[in-house]
Amino acid sequence: MVYITSWDDFVERSVQLFRADPEKTRYVMKYRHSDGKLVLKVTDDKECIKFKTDQAQDAKKMEKLNNIFFTLMSRGPDADISEVGGKEQMEAQAPKKGRGRKQ
Amino acid sequence: MVRLQPDPFLNELTSMFERTTEHGSVWVTLKHSSDKSKAQRNKMKTAGENLEFKCLIRATDGKKNISTMVGAKDHQRFQASYAILLKARLTALKKRERKDKRKATDSDKKMDISKKKSAAAKAST
Repeated sequence: MVYITSWDDFVERSVQLFRADPEKTRYVMKYRHSDGKLVLKVTDDKECIKFKTDQAQDAKKMEKLNNIFFTLMSRGPDADISEVGGKEQMEAQAPKKGRGRKQ
Repeated sequence: MVRLQPDPFLNELTSMFERTTEHGSVWVTLKHSSDKSKAQRNKMKTAGENLEFKCLIRATDGKKNISTMVGAKDHQRFQASYAILLKARLTALKKRERKDKRKATDSDKKMDISKKKSAAAKAST
């Protein structure tokens, strides 16, 4: 088990892990509100990579990774994910502006 | 493990997040799954049938387990609602970036002032 410190490395390695063995790989998110901690884990039961954070900005990055995994898992490991992250985020942000919610 | 439809699943997940605000954690697992047993899978493989894969989502707070399946057709709608849910619930994370910037500028200013003071002191002697 390895905690990876770089987010981009984590994304790249987790997608690699999934594509190597789609049927066995799972992606787990653990959130602990009382400690304000978020841990992401991707494993195929042979290799396990983890990423932990307490930063709100990483939760936004996680949204992108969620989209990648939803797409890969429901459409199959050969699905194109090159545009998933950016596109989905754009779509998610647009309606928010409409409702007048600003952060 | 209780299998739910995507919308009731999200509702139940919300109440899980609510229950664990003071203590406890929530786990959400995503998995590529055909939702068939291994024996069934082998049977279908030998029969040459194509397996249909979907995304299995499981969630637990350590006491209760819930799960749902989303396929290629409905995953986008689900992931959008899931993202909104997460945004509303992951509120204990730190927003440190801004604070750091402010602190940095503050300490910079202090440094400048003390430098000026010391420079002034030197000049006066």
